Amino acid sequence: MGVRFPSPAYATMSTEMKDMFPSLIENAAVLMLYLDHNGKVALCNKKTESMVGLKHADIIGKNWLEVLFRDTNNTMKREMFKAVLDDALTYKRAKDFECHLLSNHGNARLVSWNITPILDKNNQIQGSLLFGHDITEIQERENSVKNIDDTLKNIISSINEYALYVINLDGLITYFGMGCETMFGYSKPEIIFKHVSILHNINQAVSELGLILERVRLFGKYELELKLFTKAGVVIPVRLTVNQFLDASSKLTGYIFIAKDITETKKLEYQVFQAEKLAALGQLSTGMAHEINNPLFVISGRLEMLKQEGLSQEFKETINLIDSQVNRIRKLVDRILKFARKSTMTPEAININEIIELVLPLVHYNKLPSVKVEIEKSFEKNMPKISGDPDQLQEVFLNMIINAYQAMPEGGIIKITTSNFQNLYAQIQITDTGVGIPAANFKNIFMPFFSTKGQGTGLGLSICHNIIKNHNGSIELESRINQGTTFTVKLPFI
Amino acid sequence: MGVRQVTENCAGVVFVHKEVTVLYKVLVVDDESAVRDLLRDFLKKEDCLSITCRSGEEALAILKKETFDAVLLDIKLSGMSGLEVLKEIRKNYANLPVVMITGFGFDEELIYKSKQLGCSGFIGKNIPMTQIIVTFKQFVKEAKGKGSS
Repeated sequence: MGVRFPSPAYATMSTEMKDMFPSLIENAAVLMLYLDHNGKVALCNKKTESMVGLKHADIIGKNWLEVLFRDTNNTMKREMFKAVLDDALTYKRAKDFECHLLSNHGNARLVSWNITPILDKNNQIQGSLLFGHDITEIQERENSVKNIDDTLKNIISSINEYALYVINLDGLITYFGMGCETMFGYSKPEIIFKHVSILHNINQAVSELGLILERVRLFGKYELELKLFTKAGVVIPVRLTVNQFLDASSKLTGYIFIAKDITETKKLEYQVFQAEKLAALGQLSTGMAHEINNPLFVISGRLEMLKQEGLSQEFKETINLIDSQVNRIRKLVDRILKFARKSTMTPEAININEIIELVLPLVHYNKLPSVKVEIEKSFEKNMPKISGDPDQLQEVFLNMIINAYQAMPEGGIIKITTSNFQNLYAQIQITDTGVGIPAANFKNIFMPFFSTKGQGTGLGLSICHNIIKNHNGSIELESRINQGTTFTVKLPFI
Repeated sequence: MGVRQVTENCAGVVFVHKEVTVLYKVLVVDDESAVRDLLRDFLKKEDCLSITCRSGEEALAILKKETFDAVLLDIKLSGMSGLEVLKEIRKNYANLPVVMITGFGFDEELIYKSKQLGCSGFIGKNIPMTQIIVTFKQFVKEAKGKGSS
């Protein structure tokens, strides 16, 4: 509603107050303008003058828009303000508006306006009263807080490898913050006020956690690496930082835990360790193989000579037996040398799909269990080329496919999939539906001489591992008992 | 092939073989005596007369004094390696057939290096002995064919 003038409140004011009123308005820290029904400024206070940078005489009688938007060419705001005022007058209703004014110092000031239509006794528009409040500083303060809020929210939501939780002195979780839900799989409501041992190893929690908290009390802060448990029962290695949680009067009220997921780091460390171990083994075995080869050479040579002598049947049989055993050793030594050899790669630009296609017909030349095995292929059509030695890579995939066969003594399906991994790697996955590999064997699977098959040297996969490493690639496996195994090879594009 | 009188200098004792049929006269270089003897015995069966020595240094000294049809050279030797010996031999005897033999098996890197240095053939000790000698003779024959043409 518009304001009828003079208002009843003004009428009841004491004379003293009535005298004071104009001077209050004149000196108020808000902008005040009174416009007549033609939009000409009829009254304005000091604050308005100083804000727009005009003298009183230069304001009175001017169109209000020319006064307020003297220097700005922001015509849109100007038109909007005009529309709001027209609106206020048409509907005889107070309106609010916000806009920037250019102050006499040339700074843009944000002003929040209140527009009140003034009505005469006959309810007709007499004019309008504009109050403007400079809210520049308020807005800046709010923005700065909002910016921090937004930034923090962004940071926190992007941190997934950190989890922050707080426990009280009874060991109950009182805060389950950033990253926790992602890392542990618990939702906030289901874990708040549960004992923290739910995240730590239940069996060791009492002693281990007790020890940690004791250190925190002693040193104020304690850092260590340990394993935490998720809701699904998965163990995750973390780097844990525990701090005292003090209240305003520095009284200990709990402990703050920050856990960083170091699964990837551990994985990397393990791979490096594994690679170093294999390299050392390679050197050792080359030397050893050579030392074995020489006496073996002499033994088999001399045996050959003996065979040509006119020996009795009995002797001949014995010599043949020795010879076959010597051959066995020789083949083993050959495999070892092959495993250890940093053979000169002759890299070419190759399409990995073609390599696998070349391997498939070779599979049947190997002694395989005569069971029904289907091979399903799913190849990425537009596969970028990789740089590699075709012969060596053929050996890798032949080996892996034969392994897949041998994992399925009762038949099954071998799925060979190639795909483009993030435009960085050619990814080759070989999946069987076989017996699977027990988790205990995972870490040994690429070690030389590790074999679960009755026959075989246990060198196949370690040779694969070496070749893939030499190609700057990676090889990983995933396996479930009685469901099957997937080997994933990644080779970098050129 | 021919009938020649040859001498074998072994540990200071000079043996004189009279009037034997010799296909090739071969210098065998290997640091293990059992291997040397084995190679010598097999070569003998194939009408090759072999002079054996235990190091590259010795081999180079012998080559200065005597003429050979071929050298059978082990790669892993104490002292000079077989590859270094090969390099030295090539400086003075461009057409002498030199066949490398190694316990490292069929190693591409070694084969490549040996070829670069001008070996006439490469044999791994991981194949049956008779095959080794057949292959060796094959290499020598090829090399001689090239050298004379």
